[in-house]
Amino acid sequence: MTVSQRLPFILALLAPAAPLAAAEPKLSFNRDIRPIMSDTCFHCHGFDAKTREAGLRLDLREDALKPTKNGVVPIVPGKPDESEIILRITDALDPMPPDEAHKTLTPKQKELLRRWVAEGAVYEPHWAYAALVRPAVPTVRPIRNPQSEIRNPIDAFVQARLAEKQIAPSPVAAPAALLRRLSLDLTGLPPTPAEVDAFVAASARDPEGAYRAEVDRLLASPHHGERLAVWWLDIARFSDTVGFHGDQNQRIFPYRDYVIGAFNRNLPFDRFTVEQLAGDLLPAPTPAQRVATGYNRLNMMTREGGAQPQEYLAKYGAERVRSVAAAWFGSTFGCAECHDHKFDPIKAKDFYELQSFFADVKQWGVYSDYGYTKNPELAGFNNDFPFPPEIEVDSPYLAARRDRAEAALREQVAALRRPPADPAPFAAWTDSARARLAAAPAGWEFPAPTAAVLRAGKPAGNRTASVAADGTVALGQNLGRQETLRLAFSALAGPVAALRLELPGDPVGDVPFEKAMARGAVTFAAAVRGADGKERKLAFVFADATAKSPRYINGVELHGVTGGWKLPPLRPAEPLAAVWLLREPLALAAGETLQVTLGGDAAKEFRLGVTALGAGRPLEASAAPVIAALHAAAPTDAQRELLLETWRLSAAPEPAAVAAYHRVAAELRDTRRGRAWTMVTEATEPLPVRVLPRGNWQDESGPLVLPATPSFLPGRIESTPEKRLTRLDLARWLMSAENPITARAVANRLWALFFGTGLSAVVDDLGSQGELPSHPELLDWLAVEFREKGWDLRHVIRLIVTSHTYRQESQLRPELRESDPANRLLASQNPRRLEAEFVRDNALFIAGRLDLRDIGGPSAAPYQPDGYYAALQFPDRTYVASGAEAQWRRGVYMHWQRTFLHPMLANFDAPARDECAAQRVVSNTPQQALTLLNDPTFVEAAKLFAVRVHAAAATDAARLTEAFRLALARAPKPAERTALTALLAAQREHYRANVADAQKVLAVGLAPAPAGDPAELAAWTSVARVLLNTHEVITRY
Amino acid sequence: MFSFDPSAHARSVNRRTFLTQSAYGLGGIAFALLQQKLAAAGAAPGKLPPGWNGALREAHFPVRAKRVIFLCMAGGPSQLETFDWKPQLKALDGQPFPESFTKGQQLAQLQNTVLKARGSFTNFARHGHAGIEISELFPHLATVADDLCVVRSMQTEQINHDTAHAFMNTGSIIKGRPSMGSWLLYGLGAETQDLPGFIVLNSQGKYGLQPISARQWSSGVLPSRFQGIQFQSRGDAVHYVGNPDGVCQSTQRLVVEEIKRMNGLLAEERADPEIATRIAQYEMAFKMQSSVPELTDFKNEPQAMLDLYGIKEPGDGSYASNCLLARRLAERGVRMIQLYHRAWDHHGDLEPGMKAGAKEVDQATAALIKDLKQRGMLDDTLILWGGEFGRTPMGQGTGRDHHILGFSVFMAGGGVKAGQVYGATDELGYKAVDRVVSVHDLHATMLALMGVDHRRLNTKFQGLDVRLTGIAGEVVKDLIA
Repeated sequence: MTVSQRLPFILALLAPAAPLAAAEPKLSFNRDIRPIMSDTCFHCHGFDAKTREAGLRLDLREDALKPTKNGVVPIVPGKPDESEIILRITDALDPMPPDEAHKTLTPKQKELLRRWVAEGAVYEPHWAYAALVRPAVPTVRPIRNPQSEIRNPIDAFVQARLAEKQIAPSPVAAPAALLRRLSLDLTGLPPTPAEVDAFVAASARDPEGAYRAEVDRLLASPHHGERLAVWWLDIARFSDTVGFHGDQNQRIFPYRDYVIGAFNRNLPFDRFTVEQLAGDLLPAPTPAQRVATGYNRLNMMTREGGAQPQEYLAKYGAERVRSVAAAWFGSTFGCAECHDHKFDPIKAKDFYELQSFFADVKQWGVYSDYGYTKNPELAGFNNDFPFPPEIEVDSPYLAARRDRAEAALREQVAALRRPPADPAPFAAWTDSARARLAAAPAGWEFPAPTAAVLRAGKPAGNRTASVAADGTVALGQNLGRQETLRLAFSALAGPVAALRLELPGDPVGDVPFEKAMARGAVTFAAAVRGADGKERKLAFVFADATAKSPRYINGVELHGVTGGWKLPPLRPAEPLAAVWLLREPLALAAGETLQVTLGGDAAKEFRLGVTALGAGRPLEASAAPVIAALHAAAPTDAQRELLLETWRLSAAPEPAAVAAYHRVAAELRDTRRGRAWTMVTEATEPLPVRVLPRGNWQDESGPLVLPATPSFLPGRIESTPEKRLTRLDLARWLMSAENPITARAVANRLWALFFGTGLSAVVDDLGSQGELPSHPELLDWLAVEFREKGWDLRHVIRLIVTSHTYRQESQLRPELRESDPANRLLASQNPRRLEAEFVRDNALFIAGRLDLRDIGGPSAAPYQPDGYYAALQFPDRTYVASGAEAQWRRGVYMHWQRTFLHPMLANFDAPARDECAAQRVVSNTPQQALTLLNDPTFVEAAKLFAVRVHAAAATDAARLTEAFRLALARAPKPAERTALTALLAAQREHYRANVADAQKVLAVGLAPAPAGDPAELAAWTSVARVLLNTHEVITRY
Repeated sequence: MFSFDPSAHARSVNRRTFLTQSAYGLGGIAFALLQQKLAAAGAAPGKLPPGWNGALREAHFPVRAKRVIFLCMAGGPSQLETFDWKPQLKALDGQPFPESFTKGQQLAQLQNTVLKARGSFTNFARHGHAGIEISELFPHLATVADDLCVVRSMQTEQINHDTAHAFMNTGSIIKGRPSMGSWLLYGLGAETQDLPGFIVLNSQGKYGLQPISARQWSSGVLPSRFQGIQFQSRGDAVHYVGNPDGVCQSTQRLVVEEIKRMNGLLAEERADPEIATRIAQYEMAFKMQSSVPELTDFKNEPQAMLDLYGIKEPGDGSYASNCLLARRLAERGVRMIQLYHRAWDHHGDLEPGMKAGAKEVDQATAALIKDLKQRGMLDDTLILWGGEFGRTPMGQGTGRDHHILGFSVFMAGGGVKAGQVYGATDELGYKAVDRVVSVHDLHATMLALMGVDHRRLNTKFQGLDVRLTGIAGEVVKDLIA
């Protein structure tokens, strides 16, 4: 809602509504006058000295009462006719504000100003900056509705205000509707029909007890944390990508897990604040506290060539001020980057002092090392690299998946170890392996190759490669950019399952990490060359090395060294070797040659080995236990099993079993030992921070500043030359009793979560251009309660949802449409459209397919239209939708691409999170209709919903009832039943005549097409689509 | 009886003094002059054409342009190979670039390098009655020279692609600011009934590709219904505009009808105005499901028209095809049509890059101007052609670096004063020195052509008045016919 819409409404409230009011109460400066002055006067007569006209300021009473240099007195208390401002606002010839300002005062506003001066022109400090004191709870007797109660002080404040207007509160909503509301508000999920039935029954016995039990149950649900995380992640501007230019992936999901966990543990908000802003500065910080400091790293970052580090550090610093101010001050600091704020007492110096708290956050202006902007610490970084500093931490989600994958792999291994139906092939393989061991006791055979250096694929005549008897190939110097080393083996001792590359000599040395990263990777390819000269490429299932440096694709670290082997920076304990497992065993036929092609500038000596003894993991190929088992005269059961496993993996008598094993092994690798990297704050020597005139980063004429809290708020703390304040000091000051604004800002935002609108509707600006709260005392009471009860979020939420005010019907009251069109008096609840993430969750939950097994984890990639990332580069991007393991995860886990947000999220008003977004707009667009109608996620949900409903009952009538209970927590109305029954009949007929179409509908999405009559299920899918598209489904009433 | 009151007189005089000191004093005078000028052009302010349904109740100026087609040459084309002919620079080719020009200035990839002049590799000739100098790389544009208003004195504030695009589109690098198209849609509404009012088309060239971002057509803090809708070159032109597999048009119609019925039943019970809006949006969505395919189906366009634009395969996602689509969108009342052609970041390979880029856009851009003209639509369609910044007169390898102190754009149609070159850079093309036009000025001028005073189209965000032009921007009156 814009202010222009809001203003008439405020005035409507101010209009003498109740004739019974004996005398009009005195005007309040904050409620009645400040909004007018802020909008129309302060631009030229306010805080900012640079734009102040005629030397006049009206924001300070002392100044406004003094004669100006022109000899007129702006305000004479009690005497409007002698006050220049009153004369000027009514002067038709020379009015204030002047015509050019395009701001006009309404007659009502002029009258208010006159009355205020007549009443003595009493000023008040701006409400949000005034000291926070707990107001008395009103004891006014409310207008009682027989079904309304005063459950807690919230109701006392709200109903006292209603009583002034002679309005009765609304009754409590019906139990089923109430539970749907509570469930969606606290967990983002609707109740199941069973939960609704139980609650309705319990409510009949003990309404209050039953309701409180539901509140307890839902607050204790792990999905409560996911719901609140959606709220906080907007504020923290959490996203999976860096935002500027190439918009590469950043590694940060453990921060989201931290936020969800913090809400689920009900971590007090003061600790939540301290840990995010300064967890790294706490004594002996825990990993979780360090993960929390990812907050300071969520500003947008760039890696664009030609970007200047200084300029971008200035951008990052300024953004951080805007976001911290929006998050914890509920204030707009942005303008103060360039000049003193026009409407609020925020000075440019305040901006830079706040920025300088964060001057120690280790960050690079440009995350690369370009020739024209050197960044030696990031040497070797390319567009695929992550954005340090980062730490590696435990990920419970990945650990759970790892445990499942390990269990699955154990089953695969058990299958590989079972006795064969026909023992003969196994025995023959064992005999052959033993025979080869006699010649090569270590299991690895090192035949001598012929070797040649190629340049751009052609023999490089001037380069020699010497081959020693042990198979070592030595080059005089490292391979150049265009050069490769070709090794050819014309005879092998037998079938081969794995290849091993050893790097003798010392290709590593002890070089700095950056140098190692700048060095090219060793590349490895193999082919069989036939007698006819044709080449057949050999495929590898996986490769790994004894030591390596990481390689990345768009921030994702690659497993193993299959595509290239980057050497480690430090000399490893054992000689460097890497093993490539062949996808299929290799046996050379007569006339065939094995060709291995090596590249990369990392080494100049190579030795290639082969073995028949494959394994599940590359480095276990031809390992000692297998060799021991082969040598054993009487193998133990375990040794026999190991040999069976080795045989099956190496000789691949049952290729399907090998493929299955490697599929599960790849899944296991993807769980990364249950660990994940995440960006954190690392403190470094603070960069100097200056006031930048007009925000110009190249202008170094401004004064240097040190950390200090904003000058306009009480209890200011400042650095001294001896003691520089830190982020920890800032965080503790924010949570101190002196700071009045944070508790108000957070309490106001929490309120908005449960009523759709904050008590002060402009939740992202509590400054003078914002809105005086509809219930200022209630907001202050809540804020004090929040702070004094240990910053207990859950306590405040519980107070809100257990209030009668919250539980009221959400039916707007026709008799109040005129006097309170926006329902700011809260004579009823407000309907609220679900946030984008919960639009998704709700549909999938109704369909029975929402994946609620695990909490937290990496971002998931739901279906997205092809080619949506076509304009993204550095690196080029291909969106790969998640498989079944993550396709139906909750919206809070959706991959958040700042430059190209998923269309479903964008269409339902989710912000890109480029900066702090404390308030989402709520729009109602054709794009939303198209999304719900045609996005495969919602079509698939409809299909699964249809299947679920169809299976749940035997008759159409009962199925329809079940569908409504699942989707809306109610039974269908007769008119709905009639209409949908008719639709169902028509669709049955249609799909029976077009079965191929029915099959296509049922094939949408990853979930397998259901068994059953396709026409029947497709017809029900149409009914399900109608239901999932209704306004009621995406609205919390 | 009337009598002279000396103290009242003194107060009154003091008030006049106050007025002349006011910040609005000067702007007010300029504003009055502009109004005179626009009124002299024959149109009256105050009236908006029927059906315009935006936030503005009346036009501040006469409405000269009804829609904008912004041909965004993403990557930043060189002004020195397009519209800014610098013989002295050519004479200096390969020599050190005079330090007097560059000292203390911000550079991008040329930081910390020796700066050498690079003369234009192309030749220029004068075209049209006005004798506008156009590089030989753009022979088709040369044929419409008298329709062009070339601005050679552009400056921007951002030297890297991402932020420069943000600045060119939203007037700010602070995220969450609405883009130009969103402002127009918000302020003026759209005439189209069954298409979005702000549509974005993308194409890419052979050389010099740089990424762009949906932020550039974001509605920012304005409601998302004002966001630009990006047409896709693959799959459905608009996300989710196609029916699901196995759902025919009549089934889709039935489903939409039933959704309407369900929502109607809900509306009977609940006084919630969002329900009526929802019903209307489903209607619009369903219409889009047929209007978008109809729009993107070029089968009714004669071969001669395809040839005029140089379209090889209609709907192939090329710039040429997008230009024809832009005309079809303009015909249907879309307020803002934005074409991005990603092809102009020539740090190296300037010569092949510029040649290829010019070949990709020259013919189709000229065709768009001719086509609109022959349909009588050029008069009220404002075309803007230009990049997010220009390129250095200094060489960088075989190319040119980013440059913000002087670059060229052109406008056509929509009430601009055609057949002129406005402003100039210095003799080496380094810095705009004559009648400099900032991005804010450009925005203010474009808004003025649409009948909007840039200082009076705003929205509240975080308690502040947000504008496309921020607190800056002056209408460049000499760009207006």
